[in-house]
Amino acid sequence: MSTPVLALQHITKQFGHGHTAVTALTDANFEVLPGQFVAIIGPSGSGKSTFLTIAAGLQTPTSGQVLLNGTELAAQSEKARLAYRFNEIGFILQSSNLIPFLTVTEQLKLVDKMAKRRFQAERAQQLLSELALSEVATAYPNELSGGERQRVAIVRALYNDPSVILADEPTASLDTPRSIDVVDRLANEAHQHQKAIVMVTHDQRLIGNCDVVYRIEDGVMTRQ
Amino acid sequence: MYLGLKEMRHEKLRYTLLSGVLLLIALVVFMLAGLANGLSNGNRQAIDQWQATDVYLNKAANKTLSASQLKLADKKYISGTKVAPLASLSGTLRTTANHKKTTVSALATSRQSFIMPKVTHGHAINGKDQVIISAALKADGFKIGQKVRIGTTNHAVKIVGTYADSTYEISPTVYTDIATMNRLKAAPVTSGNQQTIGGFVTKNGHFKTSKHGDLQHLSIATFIEKLPGYSAEQMTLNTMIYFLFVIALAIIGIFMFVLTLQKQPLFGVLKVQGIGTKHILAALLTQSIAMAVIGIVLGLGITVGLAQIMPAGLPFVVNWGQFGLYSLALLAAAVIGALLSWRTVANIDPAVAIG
Repeated sequence: MSTPVLALQHITKQFGHGHTAVTALTDANFEVLPGQFVAIIGPSGSGKSTFLTIAAGLQTPTSGQVLLNGTELAAQSEKARLAYRFNEIGFILQSSNLIPFLTVTEQLKLVDKMAKRRFQAERAQQLLSELALSEVATAYPNELSGGERQRVAIVRALYNDPSVILADEPTASLDTPRSIDVVDRLANEAHQHQKAIVMVTHDQRLIGNCDVVYRIEDGVMTRQ
Repeated sequence: MYLGLKEMRHEKLRYTLLSGVLLLIALVVFMLAGLANGLSNGNRQAIDQWQATDVYLNKAANKTLSASQLKLADKKYISGTKVAPLASLSGTLRTTANHKKTTVSALATSRQSFIMPKVTHGHAINGKDQVIISAALKADGFKIGQKVRIGTTNHAVKIVGTYADSTYEISPTVYTDIATMNRLKAAPVTSGNQQTIGGFVTKNGHFKTSKHGDLQHLSIATFIEKLPGYSAEQMTLNTMIYFLFVIALAIIGIFMFVLTLQKQPLFGVLKVQGIGTKHILAALLTQSIAMAVIGIVLGLGITVGLAQIMPAGLPFVVNWGQFGLYSLALLAAAVIGALLSWRTVANIDPAVAIG
């Protein structure tokens, strides 16, 4: 049994104080192993976004621990967390997480520029062809279809070879066939590249391919 | 850098327009500076050519040569590496036939004095009632050998030589000796030590003793500053230039701030992905520096081009050292303008990009 890439232990998150306090997450426990494709499903307002922001170190929990490769995120400096997010976490957001003035290839080049290394042309080519994007390598985001955009986001997330990929409603702006296509590809990448992928969604139909499913409702998280 | 330049390439119109605004500001800065230099030069060119360090005037003259009266004999109070008497007369230079007229600054000193200009055509003053003129006056039709009058008296003098362009108080200069000057002024004494002059010009001059009659010492810088209208002119133009630096800063600052507000969601996404405030600010800086450089370089080019086709009457002098300094000031304004968005960028919460 391998160790979890990302683990949340007894996470509680409260907003506000006293009688106006709102508890967004209550004693949540979660873990994802390399090569696992995990879904977190729940209606809107259930605490999914809070879960993601805490898992990514964008917010600190009121209590509990977030362990990324065994390191506690909350104990790190802001700068270190930024570096963690850059190096260890790949993001796929609902939409518009591509930079509008960069072509598909340039989105990947930017990652290398930030990491101060040379553009990995071969890796870029391989990932783009894996996700059937070779044809649009020089296109700008506004020239792509919604499905293509999300596939580019997957490539971008994978490109930096992170430990875990967090996908926030990656199919929110897509129709059903395209949604299923994107989720299939996510599952495939997880299994093929031994990546831990966590997908947050409200769509029941998309969890067929998932190895583990967590359900979240009113801040309470349960493993199915 | 990568982000900043890529965005500029993609949003050409937006960034071209702002570069254009900066170009206009740079152009006005350089034009005003050129005019300020031109006016300054017109006022002081003759003084700069003296290469003197001090001027001595009557202490009642309020530091103005034309209001100062001393006697040649007052030289006894002063010693220095070089000491030259100086008198001035602002008036109309006209040919005896009255055909040609132009306003000049007539200056007088002793024939062998260190401030007497070196003649390039004709010969130096070697006799009574001779004058030499600035070469610029040739364009007005004056030439060697002509009989001319200066001012309102009927006393005629002869042009015997010309020297390199020289102006004083915006008018071309004419030099003569002290005695001729006094005859032009119809002064009662026109020879000897009791002749009236305006003051003395020296190199490394100082008073011999603490008793020095009615004389007052001025550094050459003070003397220039006290030229009638000089400070007011320079201050007006320089104030305009300094305001333009502030305007450039405000324009860049406001533009970058508005763009930052507009791009907050994008910056949020970048921050989620681990591309932090430092990199976003670097992009903003790259952009404003690039725009400022484009504006400054084109502004300089156009200014120098315009200087070539300007009418000769417009005083305009390109001073590269000063233009370089003003370019740096504009660049600094662009950098500070971009940095004004620092807090806004730093405060963007990456969490807003999720959910």
